[in-house]
Formats: sequence, structure tokens, C-alpha cells
Amino acid sequence: MTTPAIAIRNLSKVFPIPFKRERVVAVHDLSLEVAPGQVYGLLGPNGSGKSTTMKIVLGLISPSAGRTEIFGRNSQLVDSHEEVGFLPENPYFYKYLTGFETLKFYARLCGLSGQALRDKVGELLKLVRLEDARDRRLGGYSKGMLQRIGLAQALIQNPRLLVLDEPTAGVDPRGSAEIRDLIVACKERGITVLLCSHLLGQVQEICDRIGILDRGVLVREGKLEDLISIEDQTEMIFENAPPALLAEIGKLMAASYPEARLLEQKKPRTTLERYFLEVTYARPIPDGGSEST
Amino acid sequence: MIPAISEDAPAFPTAYPRHRFFSPARVRALAANTFTELVRLKIFYFLLIFALLLITSSAILIQLSFQDQFQMLKDVSLGAMSIFTSLLAILATAGLLPKDIEDRTLYTVLAKPVSRLEYLVGKLLGVYLLLLVSVVLMGILFFVMLSWRVHYVTSEIRAAGGSAEATQQQIDLLRATAYNPNLWSGGILIYVKACLLASATLFVSTFASSTIFTIIIMVAVYFIGNMQATARDYWQVPSIAGQAGWLIKAFLAFVSLVFPDLQAFNLLDEIVVGTSVGFWLLWKTVGLGVLYSLIYLSAAFFVFSDKEL
Repeated sequence: MTTPAIAIRNLSKVFPIPFKRERVVAVHDLSLEVAPGQVYGLLGPNGSGKSTTMKIVLGLISPSAGRTEIFGRNSQLVDSHEEVGFLPENPYFYKYLTGFETLKFYARLCGLSGQALRDKVGELLKLVRLEDARDRRLGGYSKGMLQRIGLAQALIQNPRLLVLDEPTAGVDPRGSAEIRDLIVACKERGITVLLCSHLLGQVQEICDRIGILDRGVLVREGKLEDLISIEDQTEMIFENAPPALLAEIGKLMAASYPEARLLEQKKPRTTLERYFLEVTYARPIPDGGSEST
Repeated sequence: MIPAISEDAPAFPTAYPRHRFFSPARVRALAANTFTELVRLKIFYFLLIFALLLITSSAILIQLSFQDQFQMLKDVSLGAMSIFTSLLAILATAGLLPKDIEDRTLYTVLAKPVSRLEYLVGKLLGVYLLLLVSVVLMGILFFVMLSWRVHYVTSEIRAAGGSAEATQQQIDLLRATAYNPNLWSGGILIYVKACLLASATLFVSTFASSTIFTIIIMVAVYFIGNMQATARDYWQVPSIAGQAGWLIKAFLAFVSLVFPDLQAFNLLDEIVVGTSVGFWLLWKTVGLGVLYSLIYLSAAFFVFSDKEL
């Protein structure tokens, strides 16, 4: 049997309220597994326990009960972090460091040095399209650039698991699409991704499996397709179909299958995001122009 | 489109060193980063104030006799060095941890194979390095000013005339008064005291709710630390000790245990007047500073290791 990338077993977290006898149950008896190579979306409204669960998986806080593992190792132990890259929500990093220095710092923390360090940093700057901004201080980076450098630091030690907390929060559609493409590229390399996001459209596009938390309890969990497909309906999309063909299909349906009903017939639309990207990518960047902050 | 991840890149970490509980390389990276952070915050601007203070005081000193001039210059310089480094130690350390938590940078660091002990030690060593550079730079400024005064007064003695032998005697006396080797001891004590204060500040910041709270607590610690020896000596006078109840004794024992005895580092007055600070007294005081720093670092680790981030 394959060792799960993340295993959460009977996890509970209770926060006592100082100077009161009350306590807040952030996570209650949560159990789930994320298989290697999967992109897993952990969803839920604010205060549902997503971030607490992530922090426990990363060993930033300790569980009140239960156990979390990363590739079979207790995630509360520091050595399990060799396998993990983490991008928190709205990170600021060290504003006084340049993009290159930031990645160099994280690479050193992961034991890299010399030519291997320079190669890795160069490769990641290219991957996240920040080669031109490598010598600029992070204080001058845009929100999207910060998220991209954050993703690069998360990938610095070639982790087998990426934990991303709202990776596209506050980023414009183009930056958001770039981050989504990077996540897909990671998935193609076999990297497991645990993703927390409120952007359900994006989650739907990239996640294989999702879990929905509500007030600390896992209320739904499973393969995305199984959870959101409507079993008794079928969607057909034609190209170049003349009205006569559509009328023919309608007649056939009424004659042969009286219990079947045509619920809707309309021209499919592209998404607003796709349209926005087509319009903005189509415009050439003026000479000497660069990404503004 | 974004470039694809290089096909040559290993999919999983195989070439990187395996994790060790405590890695000097990781601590070095954290220390270097902390030092860079503080330097780029333009924290060394305070050196300009120090230089200005030295220049102003030396302009006033011209009216004094040359022995008084050098004593005054040393008094002002070492006093300012002590206050500036102590302030720098508290202010530079107080914001490190809260800022990393606020910016979520701490999460990204601790999500790497970095232990909380390595993080604390790295941060503290970064501040120690900053303090060392500050003491050295202030020491250089002080030495330049001292040398300039010596040169000025020597020229005056030579210009006044007199027998060659008498002039040389006066110049020798002047140099002996100015370049007192105990000044080195003064620099070491100032540095160790500042390191102690930085360690105590880091400890306070592990449980403090804000940077300003840490600074207020540390200012109180600074004053209590400077006064606790006086209070202890007072209550140890036999006639008074008899009157002290158990509550006062317990309170004083608590204060002695928790707060550093900063008066033990106040040997600067003796250095300024030229009294020699014995080798053993110097190293005993340095040892005390190192011991206090280790105790505060251990306490900081004890609190921080269980802190919910």
C-alpha cells in the first residue's frame, strides 16, 4: 500500500479562551488522507478550521488530540519538513531582501550552497518569471510577484508536498492564472498539493479531490467529479450544428423518450477569466516596459 | 505562458543533505539574514549622533586641563557607548519575533527543516553581530577623536617651548593618561552587557503581546537590574536585615534570580579614572554576562518551543 502524502487521523484542536472557562473547538475528530501526486482542495468558510488544520500538518501548532503524518513521518517533528514547501496566505517576507537574496536565504536553510544553490535559485526565478526582478527588493514587488516568489521559496528544496494557503488571494486574474499554471506544472511533476482557497472556480479546475470543513467538522469529502456531477442530467455540446439537426433531436426525444425533458438549450460561453486573459495577453508590452508594482 | 519545470530537475530531494537536529549552517543563514535586516533598516544612523556627541564634547573640553580633558572625553564616550549599545540591543531585538509572526515569514521559515532552537539562536547571533560591529565602530570613532586630541595637545606642549627633556616627559605622561589599556576592558564589558540585554529582550518577546510591550518591560528590567544590587546590599546590613520580614526577603531573592545584576557591569567609572580592572574581575563579569545570556536563551526556547503560531 502506498504511504499517503498526508495522513490526518482523529485530529482535534481546542483553543482555550484566556481568563474564561470557555474554549473554542477549531477542529473536531478530523480524519483524511491525501494520496501522493494528488491536488487536494481543503475548502470551508472563514473560521471552519482550514488554517488550523494546515498549521498542525506543518507543525506550527500542536494537536489537542490525534496525529498528522507527512509521507509516514510525524509532521510535528522537524525532519518531516524536508518533504514540504509552504506558501502562507498574504506573505510579506523580508522586504529589504531582493528576490535573489530571498531564495538564497531559504535555499541555505534547506542545506544548499555553492553552485547548486545558484543553479536552483536561477531555475526557480525563471520558473516564476522573476528573472528581471531578481535584484529588486521585495518591498517594491506587486502582490502577484510576492506570491510567485513565495511559491518559488516553497519549491526550493524540491519538496514532494506543497501546502498552499490561498495562493491567489488578492492577485489579479493574470497573476492568478500564472499561479494556477504553476500548480498544474507541479502536479505534472508528481508533487502533491494541499490547497486552501475560497476561489471555488479555480479549485474546481485543478483539484482531484476535495474536503469541505464547516465549524471544524469534515462535512463532505471525495473525488471532485463524484461530488459535483448531477447524476440524472447529461450535457452535450455540438459544433456547427444546424437548427434543423437540433429540431430533429427534439422530435426524436419527444417521440421515443417521453420521460426525458430538454431543460436548457443555449450557446456555451467562455469564462470571464479566459476572455480577460485573451484580451490582456494579446496586447504587446511596450518597449522598455516591465511589470509595475 | 510560464516556462515548464526543468525536466532535468530531480522530482524529489535526493541530493540534499539529510536533516540534523542542530545545523550551524542554518543558524549562520538565519544570523546573516537578521544582521542584513537590521543593517538595511538603517539602524547604524545612531552612529552619527554618537559622532556628533563626541565632536561637541571635545569642543567644550578645550578649556580644561589636559588630564581633565581626556578623563572627560573617556567618560562621555564610554557612557554614550554603553547607553547606545544597550538601547540598540533592546530596540533591535524587540521587533524581530513579532514582525516575523505578523508578516508570516516565521511560518515559511519553520515550515522548512528548521528547529525553533536554531531559529532563536540564529536571530540572537544576528543581533550579537550587529552589536559587535556597533561597539567596534563606536570604538574606532572614539579612538580617532582621542588621537586627534592627543595630537592637538602634543602640538600645544611643543609650541609652549621648554627643555626637550621636560617636553618629552609631559608628552609621555599625556600619552599614558590618554591611551589607557583598560579601555579595551571597557569595550568588552559594554558588549557583553548589550548581549545580555538582547538575550533578555528575546526571551520577553517570546511571550509579549507586542513590540512596545517588550520595550516597556525591558526598560523596567534595565532599571531594576541597575538598582537591585543596591537594594540587596541595603537589606544585607545586619541592623536592617533583622527588621526585614520574610516577604521582603523572598521578594529580593526573586528579583535577584529573575533580573540581571547590571550593576556588576558598571566598571566603566573605574576605567575612566584609570583604576586598573583586574583580569579575574573582568573575566568573572564576562562569565556572569554569558551565564545570564544562556539562561535567558534557554528560557526563550522553553516558552517558544510550545508557542502556538
